[in-house]
Amino acid sequence: MTSPERLRGAAAPKSHNARTIAALTTNPGCSRRAVMDAAGIDKERLAAYVGFPARFGQSQFAITRGNVFEAQLKADGCAELLRLLREVLGLPIPQVSYDDLESVDQLDARADRSRELLTRAAGGESGTLFDHPLLRLEVGGRWVYLEPDLIALQFGGTFYVVEIKSFAVIDGQADGTKVSAAATQAAVYVLALRRLLAEAGHDPGLVSHEVVLVCPENFSNRPVATLVDVRKKLSVLERQLARMARIDPILESLSPDLTFDLRPDSSGVPQRPVAELVDGLGQIDARYSPECLANCELAFFCRHEARGTTASLGKSVREELGGVPSVDLALSLASGAVAPADDQEEAAAMLRFAAQLRSECLS
Amino acid sequence: MPTPVDVLERRIDELRVAVRQAVLAGDRAQATALRAELRRAEREWDDALDEFADQTPVPPLLPIRDQVHNALTLLGVPAAPKLLIAVHEAFFAGEIVGARLTSLRRDEERSFRAAPRQRPYYLCSALTADLLAPARGLLAVSTWPLDRRIVGPLSARVDFLTAAIRIAEQAERHPGAERLLRRFAVNIPGATDSSFADVKPEVVVRAARAELAVHEGADRSHREAAAERARTQLDDAAQLFGSRELQRT
Repeated sequence: MTSPERLRGAAAPKSHNARTIAALTTNPGCSRRAVMDAAGIDKERLAAYVGFPARFGQSQFAITRGNVFEAQLKADGCAELLRLLREVLGLPIPQVSYDDLESVDQLDARADRSRELLTRAAGGESGTLFDHPLLRLEVGGRWVYLEPDLIALQFGGTFYVVEIKSFAVIDGQADGTKVSAAATQAAVYVLALRRLLAEAGHDPGLVSHEVVLVCPENFSNRPVATLVDVRKKLSVLERQLARMARIDPILESLSPDLTFDLRPDSSGVPQRPVAELVDGLGQIDARYSPECLANCELAFFCRHEARGTTASLGKSVREELGGVPSVDLALSLASGAVAPADDQEEAAAMLRFAAQLRSECLS
Repeated sequence: MPTPVDVLERRIDELRVAVRQAVLAGDRAQATALRAELRRAEREWDDALDEFADQTPVPPLLPIRDQVHNALTLLGVPAAPKLLIAVHEAFFAGEIVGARLTSLRRDEERSFRAAPRQRPYYLCSALTADLLAPARGLLAVSTWPLDRRIVGPLSARVDFLTAAIRIAEQAERHPGAERLLRRFAVNIPGATDSSFADVKPEVVVRAARAELAVHEGADRSHREAAAERARTQLDDAAQLFGSRELQRT
């Protein structure tokens, strides 16, 4: 049994945001990621140090584009956003109240003020748009502040999360992965908002499971709004967060002296032998799939480690070849060099058939 | 990065050396060809220099605080720098340099604190209704009544509609303002026809007044209450530039 603090070592814990919380839900079976996130370990730094730097990050251009689009929607008292909400949700004309919660500087004061205004609105008092509310969510036993670029909208006694994204909706279609990522992030906010209301003694059901997604339309800057149902994302997220709180069983299986402390010297350069860290990472099971490359800083390390396994070829291959862990075994089964065990019978038949097709095609 | 002028200057130097070497070597045909090329490069250099002169900005006719004051007076409500730039561009001569707006409010505050009420007006902050703190990114004029400088929850919309009315009223005499007016009109229900083709100022005014009538009463009572509080709680400078003290209470 070890503790998250011991795993992290002397480094400061890395804080979560909606993006990282959303990334957690894409691969719920991965113990390695669960442990790393629960302990607040800087995965990016660790991955770079063991020789597999993550080759992704958010593009500066994308960030600028997003900020410009958001500013455009919120300009002149949210004029454009109000028009959209009136069109999509049928927001009544008198509901135009706008509170910017960012006008308070200190973090805790902002959280308090967000709570005060939102619960007052839930109590039936006025308030329509709340910009930049600061929400809190408990992740792995720690409170995480979420500083969302979101607007909470209250009307007819129901709260909606308004998520502004800068990817385009072309001919009514948007990139599926991006919509899904946006929906997951919005679900994080829905969950945090529900917890906030529940804490204040209101019904969490006041927060709608539908979020308003605002994106540019076609190749213009004209915004378009759609309602997105995030119920499925919410249940995944709740399950994953509950699992993070129950991280203890995984920690119990780890050796007590395991740590990912990089032992930086006085100038901040890590001194820990790389082999020790790689060995430590090997003690925690990972569940690599190609989707990890877009979500997890450790993905390149895990991919290297998973080389030669059928799982590294993607989820569909992993499911088809259940019980056949490695590519070598799959090839031997296909050629008939190895007799399949009982539980491999079905997969082996398929592999042999595929090998036969291949040889017929190529002969 | 070298500009085209730099490149040309280097080329001219190289050509001069080449011409001299050709003349010394007695190669007359080569020297003539190089001379022609040298003349051409020099002509290009002249043209490039003229273009350079065109690019240097003409200094604005008015100081920036007067420009901003003009735009704010036209709008009659607290406004963000972006809107002020657009309004100034549509109605007045010259251009507001956006970068200089960022320090404007701070400079005004410093000037007021050093020697209060020495200028006929100051460009100051709008104040948030609940905390009486400076509202982010909104400029106002110190000579306005205090309640007009207060921003309550409904004020953003009320100010937007008021600004739309003011712009529409002025737009008839300024054909250049049509684009600005359209930007307002599309976000006011009933201000444009279905085709968005034509924006008529009188229709915009009517539509904006109709929506304004819905919010005005509630907004005014918010503002007046907050203004009353500001008058009793804040000193002169804080009434203009906002208080940061009430945040923690």
